[in-house]
Amino acid sequence: MTDASSDAKTLRWLDLAAAGALLVALGFALFSPPDVIQGDLTRMMYIHVPTILVAYGAFAVTTVATIGYLITKSLKWDTIAASSAEVGVVFLGLAIATGMIWGKPVWGVWWTWDARLTTTAIMFFIYLGYLGLRRSIPDPVARAQRSAILGIVAVVQIPIVHFSVQWWNALHQAPTILRPGDPQIDSPLLGALLVGLFAFAIVYVWLLVRRVQLANLDAELEARDAAPDVPMAGEAVSAPDLSDGGAVS
Amino acid sequence: MSSLSTQMAAVTRRDLERERRTGEVLWITIPFGAIALILVPMAVGADVPLLRQIGPGLYWVVVMLFGVLIAVRRTSMETPAQRDLLALLGIDPAAVFGGRAMASGLMLLVFELIVGAVAVLFYDIDLSGWPWLLLVLPLAAAGLAALGTIAGSIATNATVGPALIPLIVAPLAVPLLLAASEIVEGLRTDTGILRWLLLMVIVDLVLCIAGVVTARPLQETQ
Repeated sequence: MTDASSDAKTLRWLDLAAAGALLVALGFALFSPPDVIQGDLTRMMYIHVPTILVAYGAFAVTTVATIGYLITKSLKWDTIAASSAEVGVVFLGLAIATGMIWGKPVWGVWWTWDARLTTTAIMFFIYLGYLGLRRSIPDPVARAQRSAILGIVAVVQIPIVHFSVQWWNALHQAPTILRPGDPQIDSPLLGALLVGLFAFAIVYVWLLVRRVQLANLDAELEARDAAPDVPMAGEAVSAPDLSDGGAVS
Repeated sequence: MSSLSTQMAAVTRRDLERERRTGEVLWITIPFGAIALILVPMAVGADVPLLRQIGPGLYWVVVMLFGVLIAVRRTSMETPAQRDLLALLGIDPAAVFGGRAMASGLMLLVFELIVGAVAVLFYDIDLSGWPWLLLVLPLAAAGLAALGTIAGSIATNATVGPALIPLIVAPLAVPLLLAASEIVEGLRTDTGILRWLLLMVIVDLVLCIAGVVTARPLQETQ
C-alpha cells in the first residue's frame, strides 16, 4: 500500500470518527438530565463549553507551532499554526454565538458587558487580525515570520480571558470545571459535557488535518504558478540572427 | 559606529522633523479627534450629567482609536528605499524601533494633552487627583506608541497595509484602555489605582521588550 493511499484511508477514518463522535455527543446532550435551575437551557452548555475550550486549545496549538516555526524555520510549522488559528476562530465564533443564545433566556439580554465575554470577543478580533495579516502578505517566509511575532503577542490574551472573571468579579459564572478544588457540577451533566468536549476535540483535529492538507495543496499550486514547467505559447519563436548583417544565403 | 542611544535619538529627530514639515498630527489627527469628541453629544444628547459621566471613558476611546493613526502613520509614509537606506547605514533595528516609538510617543502625548483639554471643556470632566495624570498620560502614550510601531513593522509591504493595522492594534490596546479608564475613575471615586498603574507599566515593558527583540527579524522580512 502506498503512503498516499494509507493517508487517504486514515483521513477517511478521521472523517468517520468526527461524524460519529458528534452524533454520540448529540445523544448525550439531548438525553442527559435537565439542570435543576436552568432546565433544558443548560443543554446549550454541551456546545458552548466544549467549543470555547477547543478554541483555547486551537490557539495553544497555534502558539506551539509558531514557536516550532521560529526554532526550525520550517514552513510546515507555520502551516499548522495558521490552520489551527483558522479553526480556532471558527470555534470561538461558535462559542460566542451559542453563549449569546444561552445568555438571552438566562440573563435577559443577548450580550452583556461582562469581562470574560468582552475579552473573548476581543480575542476573536485579535485572531481575525492575525488571519487578515496572513492573507495580506504574499511572500510565504515573510508571512510566516511576521505572523509568528503577532501570534506570540496575541496568545498573551488567553490567560487574561480565562481568569479575568476572577480578576474583575463580573456577571459571567465562575469556572465550573477548571477551578481550584472539586468541579461544581453533577456527574451525569459532567459526563455529557466531557463527551461533548471529546467530540469537539476530534472535530477540531479533523478540521485541522483537512485545513493543513488544503494549505499544502494551495502551496503546491502557487509554486506551480510561480515556476511553470509547460512550454509557453510563442516560446519556440526566437529573434533572427543578424550578426552577418541579415544576409540571405 | 554611533551608540544605540545616539542612533535612537537620530531616528526620533528625523520623525519629529518630518512631522514638523508635514504637520499631519497637529493639523489633521488632533482636530479629527477633537471633532469626534464634539460629535458624541450630538448623538447621545446634550445631557451634562451624562456627558460628565461618560466623558473620561470617551476621551480614552478617542485616544486609543485616533492614537493608532499617529502610531502607524510612518507605515503609509515610509518608502522601501528609506527602509533600505536605514539598513545600509548600519542603524541597529532596535534603535530604529526605539526612535520611532519615542517620536510616536511624544506626538501621542501632545495629542492626549490637546484632546484632553477639549474633553475637559466640553464634558466638564472632574479632574480630581490630576497630578497622577502626569504619569498616566505618558504611560498610555508609550504603550500605544510601542504597539503601533510593532504593528507598523509587521504590516509593512502588506497588500492591505495601513487598513490592517488598526485591526491589529485596537484589540491589543485593550489593557491600556482599561487601565487608563479605571485610573481616572479611581481618582474620581478615590479608590485604589495602583494595580492599574502596575498593569500599564507591565504592558509598556512587555511591548518595549517585544519591540526590541522582534526589530531585527522584522527588518529582515522587509
